[in-house]
Amino acid sequence: MMGAETGALLEARQVIVRFGGLEAVGGLDMAVARGAIHGLIGPNGAGKTTVLNVLTGFIRPTAGRLVFDGEEIGGLNVNGFARRGLARTFQNIRLFGAMTVLESVLVGAHQRFSASAPALIFGARTARAAERAMIARAHELLAFVGLGRDVADRVATTLSYGHQRRVEIARALMSSPKLLLLDEPLAGMNALEKQEIADLVRQVRAQGITVLLIEHDMQIVRSLCDHLTVLEYGKLLADGEPEQVLADPAVQAAYLGRAR
Amino acid sequence: MDYFGQLLANGLVLGAIYALTAVAFTLVYGVVRLVNFAFGELFMLGAFLTTSLMLPEVRLFGTVVPMPGFPLPIAALGAIVITGVIGVVVDRIAYRPLRNAPRLAPLITSIAVSVVLQSLAQTIWGAEELRFPQFYLATLEPVVLFDSIYLSVMDLVVMATAVVAMLGLSLFIARSSLGRAMRASAEDQTAAMLVGIPVNRVVAAAFAIGSGFAALAGLLYAQTYGFAHSSMGFLPGLKALTAAVLGGIGSVPGAALGGLILGLVEALGAGYLPNGTAWKDAISFVLLVGLLYMRPQGLLGRPELNSAGRGSLLGGASAAGAGWLQAIFARGDALLARGAAAGTPAAFGLLAVAVIVGLMVPSDYWLRILTMVVIYGMLASGLNVIVGFAGLLDLGFVAFWAVGSYLTSILFVLVLKDGYGVAPQEVWWLLYLNLPLAGLLAAGFAVLLGTPTLKLRGDYLAIMTLGFGEIVRVVAINWMDLTNGPMGIRGIPAPNLFGIALGSPRAQFFFALALAVVVVFAVARLVRSYVGRAWVAIREDEEAAEAMGVPTARYKLYAYATSGFVGGFVGVFYAHSQQYISPLNFSLFENILLLMLVVLGGLGTFLGPFVGALIWIVFLQLALDLPFVQAYPETRFALLGVVLIVLMVFRPQGLAASARVGLTMPGARAKEAA
Repeated sequence: MMGAETGALLEARQVIVRFGGLEAVGGLDMAVARGAIHGLIGPNGAGKTTVLNVLTGFIRPTAGRLVFDGEEIGGLNVNGFARRGLARTFQNIRLFGAMTVLESVLVGAHQRFSASAPALIFGARTARAAERAMIARAHELLAFVGLGRDVADRVATTLSYGHQRRVEIARALMSSPKLLLLDEPLAGMNALEKQEIADLVRQVRAQGITVLLIEHDMQIVRSLCDHLTVLEYGKLLADGEPEQVLADPAVQAAYLGRAR
Repeated sequence: MDYFGQLLANGLVLGAIYALTAVAFTLVYGVVRLVNFAFGELFMLGAFLTTSLMLPEVRLFGTVVPMPGFPLPIAALGAIVITGVIGVVVDRIAYRPLRNAPRLAPLITSIAVSVVLQSLAQTIWGAEELRFPQFYLATLEPVVLFDSIYLSVMDLVVMATAVVAMLGLSLFIARSSLGRAMRASAEDQTAAMLVGIPVNRVVAAAFAIGSGFAALAGLLYAQTYGFAHSSMGFLPGLKALTAAVLGGIGSVPGAALGGLILGLVEALGAGYLPNGTAWKDAISFVLLVGLLYMRPQGLLGRPELNSAGRGSLLGGASAAGAGWLQAIFARGDALLARGAAAGTPAAFGLLAVAVIVGLMVPSDYWLRILTMVVIYGMLASGLNVIVGFAGLLDLGFVAFWAVGSYLTSILFVLVLKDGYGVAPQEVWWLLYLNLPLAGLLAAGFAVLLGTPTLKLRGDYLAIMTLGFGEIVRVVAINWMDLTNGPMGIRGIPAPNLFGIALGSPRAQFFFALALAVVVVFAVARLVRSYVGRAWVAIREDEEAAEAMGVPTARYKLYAYATSGFVGGFVGVFYAHSQQYISPLNFSLFENILLLMLVVLGGLGTFLGPFVGALIWIVFLQLALDLPFVQAYPETRFALLGVVLIVLMVFRPQGLAASARVGLTMPGARAKEAA
């Protein structure tokens, strides 16, 4: 049913995550279509971040398979996921302390550097060229996420919360990922900022990068996402087009409480 | 049977002593997650205080002072109480201000406390051994078991005391309200505070009890071996820490088990292995390294203790008190920030200053001192790669330095001169070949040592590297055929260029300076590239770095290799400059000293290691002019320790911290601006 024929970029099949006796994710099936903006939603404690951590290799599932771009990736470590083109941001921003914005973003391009130690020490032309090219690309991406050149040399962790989120997105994009996973990119932002980030996500997709995001703001989710996966208690509650999913009585009950 | 039985008895006595000290490490670690290296010194204080209280008179500060001459039980009780109080005071002054600091800060402070206590003890009691007076129980006939195993009454007392003390402690932790508060604080300090547990008092209690246990172990050790000495706590302290880790740090039954295993393995190993007594110190550390590799959490420990907090090693500026001190730092910062902004020109400026100083200084004496500054600065720069940039605390760095020094010394002296009768000046060029060769060898060695540590984080990493460093030292002492053992290697030729001996202090200084330029240039080129960015990313947040596509394991090894290369490279010159090396040159203390130099100057800066070396070595010399220091030379080390503690509390990021290092290629940025 699912698989290459449906054009899924990332597929999870029967993923189970258990922490001790607690089943955080119970037999989840989901597929992220190529070129989609895919929303992962659900009430607090539904297991959204756990799923995102599974999809980026941070948590190895107790059982189940992960297929990314036609390749089985379940057995890889975090770095293996990153190398195959999955990039992520974190719910609580995790920028590298003591690094400037430019340096932090450049870390995202790590896989694109290959100069040997002697080449670096003797300042080989190719090593310099690679550095220059990546610095130029970092500036482009900083502009793309809406940050001016003036912030490039500031220590990233001293920026405002909203700017730090943008730096994190730029850092993730720097690896030229196939799939960008955003863990609550709009958390703690005002309405205007939320719209800006939503626009940014659309532009990312316009560049051919598939996006999977966790979000709570249903207004934004409705307008931004092409596809939603709803979790409750670690299980799939609904999956499909936003309008149809959000109209589902089971989804409404999960969000508004069953008492109604 | 009888030989085995005797070894078994020895092992049990030793095991009981290790177990008691291990309890101290475990108790404090469990409550505040601090490896308090100073327990080895509290162990030593317990021994000295008991001995002093038992004697009719003792020589303190060189003067004979009358003492009460108590019997052992009373003296022991007094010593335990006094040591407990010292432990609480140490916690209050040196550790409590750092309770929420990143974990490297308290670890370094505890090493500094250790240095302070040891040098103070040597100042007070002198460098000689203090003989432990015979207690009347020790004069009784030994007990004979199975007709062949002789156990002295005191051995039985040692074992019984250990069992009673540990059972008592377990009962105390399980039943008393303070014990319950301790367990709660161990689980979650914030939560414990929120439910009204006076966490600071609980921690103080843990320190008091832990220090008491260390003192008890120390006095039993002194009783068993018949003496007290200012450096006696060092090895047993490390072994006890090993035992605590072996059993699973944080677990009291684990400490008992670990101590027992270690004591038995050591005693049996010494008895049965060929030349076992010589290698017995290595046995414990091999056991430690092997265990940490297979099962990092220890036998009875919990895996979550093998973790490092995210964030910088030492954190940012401390807000703590002392306005005038902060004002001085602020002025220095402004200057350094301007220098760092100037980048390469500032580096050339500093080099020019060094050259001028090298030309102007008239006395050979000061030139030798400045050469040492440059050598230590280079070594500290090598250590800085792994600790300062990659954020991995390495207490085994001296091993790489030793590899370089021994390689060139063995080749020049033992092989060519003694083996083939080749005069060193005929093969002067070999030195220049040895520099990169030793670098590569040490780098390979570093990768070898680094690989098993990859799974470890934080304190466990420090302990494992410490184990490696000790193993290398024990090997250097005991592998007579290769290293000439404790006698060391003499007659290493001074550096020589085309037959011109560079033996004069001025020539050596400039030789060292030239090497320093090479080292700093190479390290800076690596740091100011994607490699350095990967290192700093690992230091700041390993998981996030991994998620950004940095293969963290490979880049940790890269850092080890770079650090090792520098160590080996500098080691070659060190040997030729000193013309004599022995295992004593490469002790853990040297490693700690290098670490302190880096911390003093500023972790993760290019300038810091040299600033640290300059301050420390010049201070060492100037301090010799103070009358007080002249009378008690050991107090210099105490002063170093005090300076470090003050620094950790008020300025954890080091003196030259604002000479922040850029992590992009300088050329690439210049082009981009144009």
